[in-house]
Amino acid sequence: MNRLFSGVGNGFAEIWGHKLRSLLTVSCVMLGVASMVLTTGFMEGFFKNWEDSLQDQGGVEKIFVTAQGVKERQEPFAAVSPGLTLADARALRALVPQIGVISPEIDAARPRLARKGKTFEGRRGARVMGVTNAILEINRYEVATGRAFSELDLADDSEVILIGSKIRETLFAPGEEPLGAFIDFNNRPFRVIGVLRKYERLWGDYNTLDWKNEICFVPVTTMATKIQRSDRLSFLNFKAVDISLLREAVDAGANVLAQQHRGIIDFSVRTNEEQLASFASTKASFVIGGSAIAGVSLLVSGIGIMNLMLASINERVREIGIRKAVGATPFNIFSQFVAEAVTLSLLGGTAGVAVAVGLIKVLATTLPPGSTPLLSPSAFVVGFFFSVAAGVMAGIYPAIQAAKLDPIEALRYE
Amino acid sequence: MPLGSEVLRLDRVGKRYPMGDVIVDALVDASFTLNEGEAVAILGPSGSGKSTLMHLLGFLDSPSSGEILFEGRPVAVLTESQRARIRAEKIGFVFQAFNLLPRLSVRANVALPLAYHGSPPADAADRVSRALELVGMTNRAHHKPGELSGGQRQRVAIARALVNEPRILLADEPTGNLDTKTAAAILDLFKELNRLGRTIVVVTHSPEIAANFRRQLHVRDGRVTEGGSA
Repeated sequence: MNRLFSGVGNGFAEIWGHKLRSLLTVSCVMLGVASMVLTTGFMEGFFKNWEDSLQDQGGVEKIFVTAQGVKERQEPFAAVSPGLTLADARALRALVPQIGVISPEIDAARPRLARKGKTFEGRRGARVMGVTNAILEINRYEVATGRAFSELDLADDSEVILIGSKIRETLFAPGEEPLGAFIDFNNRPFRVIGVLRKYERLWGDYNTLDWKNEICFVPVTTMATKIQRSDRLSFLNFKAVDISLLREAVDAGANVLAQQHRGIIDFSVRTNEEQLASFASTKASFVIGGSAIAGVSLLVSGIGIMNLMLASINERVREIGIRKAVGATPFNIFSQFVAEAVTLSLLGGTAGVAVAVGLIKVLATTLPPGSTPLLSPSAFVVGFFFSVAAGVMAGIYPAIQAAKLDPIEALRYE
Repeated sequence: MPLGSEVLRLDRVGKRYPMGDVIVDALVDASFTLNEGEAVAILGPSGSGKSTLMHLLGFLDSPSSGEILFEGRPVAVLTESQRARIRAEKIGFVFQAFNLLPRLSVRANVALPLAYHGSPPADAADRVSRALELVGMTNRAHHKPGELSGGQRQRVAIARALVNEPRILLADEPTGNLDTKTAAAILDLFKELNRLGRTIVVVTHSPEIAANFRRQLHVRDGRVTEGGSA
């Protein structure tokens, strides 16, 4: 251990003795490690974003039913199907035990929200949906103040509304109590019973979850009878009781719906599985590609170190002879040169990690949201480990050459 | 170690090596013994084989024939690492060209052999100080070799050769690069060291320098003969 430290100490002295050459080598390693950490950081950032958006869509257990055009051979009979309606939700509830929560949803066409002369103009306008409390669970919403819908709200087609935090900020003055107040939805007064939590995930200045704040919920029954005047659903989402029952829930659900629609397949049942599978395969190919890039950069830095070490041995033949004459064993010489290579690569590795951290911090504030790299501890560990490994590997051959030198020849060398 | 006990013995040692197409006999049937406490000059013109002899005495080279015994044990059976260990602990080298490492300080240069001991001695720092004191270089301990005169450099090299308290000190033309006055001072240092009990072997081409030592070995055309005593 003591030997190793003195070796590293000698390494520093040697590096100091050849500042420019050492600087070039350290830069090689630094660029290698920085590009490795950065590549990994970009990949991790990309996949983290993708994974989060999968989660925001309800996770893997979620099953989506959407209306879809029928196949050509069913077209003449398409009209016999009632389409996706509230009755479908009730049938699924009654007939498919593998299904947990069911969320029937009606998306209001061109909703208008107003209160006391103020209207809401969000990024894409407000979105008002007729829902049940199931949407809170399936799409991960929380009521921050007030309450969710009651059984009575749904049974009576009550004109009550849950508002997103952005809607509250726009239509109400700060400090003004929204609960119990009325707002106009398509010229009909709705009483505010709750305000949703404020969602935030910032990429620079951009909140990627803003869409969750620009939403309002009314009871799906109210939406069907008083606003849309039909109980046709825009979406019907449900969750399997357990991820292991996902397949059964999909098949059973599809069967019940086909029955309901008199055999007309005017709907599609999808899950997040395909997305998840493509996520996994894309990730795998990225990891392979990224590793190849990083591997090449580390190879380059390894060659840089080896080149420096070989040059340094040619310059120091005499020193090696002197050291051997005063009692250095071949192993002493070998470990001295390996220690120098390791010192160089450690310096380069540290600098590389520092550069990568700096670049990631800068890029995080300048790049568009969603494509920023992530500070990944595993990338640092791997980058550091590989730089040292490259140093050792590149140092071994020159070190063997140095250890093999004949002391007499070395002493004669001028 | 009792005075007069055997340190190194050469038994019909020969060294031949190819030089181009010719085979050169650098040393032929050299047989002699070096005893504890002796001061020996190996005298010969350049090309006589005295440097080869010096390298053989320090196990930097292996003989083509014959046997070298260190403290009664044959050297030929030792591995390179074992020989290096003996060099580090029991042999001190002084070269004509000083051979100090230019980037290390005087102290670090002197301490160099201690780093290669099997277990670095606990009193390493003391030993370095004592060796520097012995050669009178204490006040230059933190200089670099480049900042010293030739005589001072050779003193540092001698301190380095002494730091491991070797049984034998081998010096190859130690005064070859020095002016007469400095050379005399270095020779006085060797004599003083010998008086303190150190075994010293000095290789030289100069009969005047050899005359400073009690025993002389003459090398001519690869043959070693016992010379007269001064």
